[in-house]
Order: sequence, then C-alpha cells, then structure tokens
Amino acid sequence: MEKNRSSEEAFGAELERLMAKAPPPKAPAWFAAKTLARLREEEGRAKEGRSWLAGWRWAWAGGAAALVAGWVLWDRPKSGLEISDAAVFAALDALVEQDEENRWWAGL
Amino acid sequence: MPAEVNDEELMSRIRDGDEEAFRLLIERHQDRVYGTVARMMGGAGPEAEEVAQDIFLRVWRSAGTYRPEGKFTTWLMTVVRNLVFTRSGQRARRRDIDGANPVDEETGESAISNEPDSGVSTPAEALSFQELERAVEAACAELPENQRLVVHLRQYEGMEFEEIGKITGMSLTAVKSLMFRARETLKKKLSGYLTASK
Repeated sequence: MEKNRSSEEAFGAELERLMAKAPPPKAPAWFAAKTLARLREEEGRAKEGRSWLAGWRWAWAGGAAALVAGWVLWDRPKSGLEISDAAVFAALDALVEQDEENRWWAGL
Repeated sequence: MPAEVNDEELMSRIRDGDEEAFRLLIERHQDRVYGTVARMMGGAGPEAEEVAQDIFLRVWRSAGTYRPEGKFTTWLMTVVRNLVFTRSGQRARRRDIDGANPVDEETGESAISNEPDSGVSTPAEALSFQELERAVEAACAELPENQRLVVHLRQYEGMEFEEIGKITGMSLTAVKSLMFRARETLKKKLSGYLTASK
C-alpha cells in the first residue's frame, strides 16, 4: 500500500516534469497588431452599416409619417355630424304629435 | 500608460473605447489565451489564431457588461472555454457529417480519441526532445475536451481546482474526478516515457 502510494507520487512528479517539457505554444509576435487591425475593420464595417441607415433616416421617417397620416385619414369620419335615419323619423313623429296636441287644446 | 495598471482598470478604459488599453490587455494575456486555444484545438495555426482573436474581440464587446466581481483571468478563461467549446462542437458536427470521426452521442467525445494507443511505447532514451514534446501534445489532444481543459488550466496555468470549477461551471468534486481520469489516461498513453511506471 505504502509502496503503491510512493510510486503514484513518483509518477505524478514525473508526469508533471514530462508535461513541463512540452509547454503550450505562445502567441505569434504579430498577434496583438493583427487583432487590433481586425477590430478596426469590423468596427468600421459596423459603422458603415449604421451610417447607411442614418443616411436614409429622412426616407424612413417620411415613409413612417405617410403611413400614419394615411391610416388617420382613412379612419376619420366622412363629415363632422352624423344623424341616423331612425333619429330623423323619431323627431318628425314627435313634431306631428306635438302639432296634434296643440290642435286638440285649441279645440280645432 | 504605467505598467502596473491592473486588468480591471484596463477593462474600464476599454469600455470607453480606449484601443491602447485593449492592446495592453491583449499583450498581457495573449500567450495564455492562444496557448489554451491551441491546446484545446489540437495545435497552433491559423484556426487557433482566429479563435484567439475572436475571444479578444468578444472581450472588447463585453467590456460594457463586465463586472469586476472575481479574478479577471477567471472571467477571461470562461470566455475562452465558451468559445472554444462552441467552435470545437461545430468542428465535430462537420466531421460527423463528413463521417470522418464519429462522435459519442452521450459525451460528445470523439470515439477515435478513446481508442487505446498502441504505437507510443518507444523507450524515452531513444526519443529526441521534439518527439517527446509531440508525444505529450498528442496524448493531451486525445483526452476528451473537458479533461483536456482541466489538465491545461491546472498544469500550465497553475489554477486552483475551485477556480477551474468556476470556469468550467462544474463542482469541485467533478473537476477533481476529471483530473483523476485525465491523469489515468495520460499515464497509459505516456507509460513508455515514464520510468516510475515501470
């Protein structure tokens, strides 16, 4: 048991030594410069996209305004006051009735 | 800019769009990031370089949401882990479609990588330094992804198990178990080069 443990420890130390002889590769010398160049390129492209949208912003705004105006005008009532037929007939009936009542009181 | 500026300070400058701070941060961590990516993706080269660049670009874009709650390197290595795993997952799927390297449905590990290695039993004395280096690299590359990352972070970055747990999103026990399994696999694969195992 004791022998096993000491051989395990020796193995661990040797494995570590072996692995230390093969360290992971280092970044190439140009890595930072290339990454920054790529950042500028990608940021530039994104900026171009944003400025294209901004360049057309009056067109977008005009289109949106036209749509809203069209929708409002379409939905607007055709005249300011709308009276239904039923209301007109009811008013006429009331007038006739009133006239009949006036005539009765006058003894006509 | 003084050399003693810490990573958190650099991140706060990067948030304001300071490219000089970003350059300093890259130079400070490029070997760590590139080395990990290369180890995880099977070697140095254009692909490892591109992924390492992607990682730093993600750092630049995430600077606004970065909160200095823990160690910066823990956060950085979490970004590395996420991107590398995503990228190697895409690679595995491509290989799977090509039928070149079948992937275990359950573990997501390459079936080929788990095959016992029969050709690495040459005595250590007969090996040149480059051969030994290649043998260690190959043995590490054949480890399943999670084990490879744990071994790399522990062995080459000198990280504590707790920190590795934060990076990988695993419990301390799980990390230790992965390390043990990786060690056992490496022991088998490198037995020809280890005198203690004989």
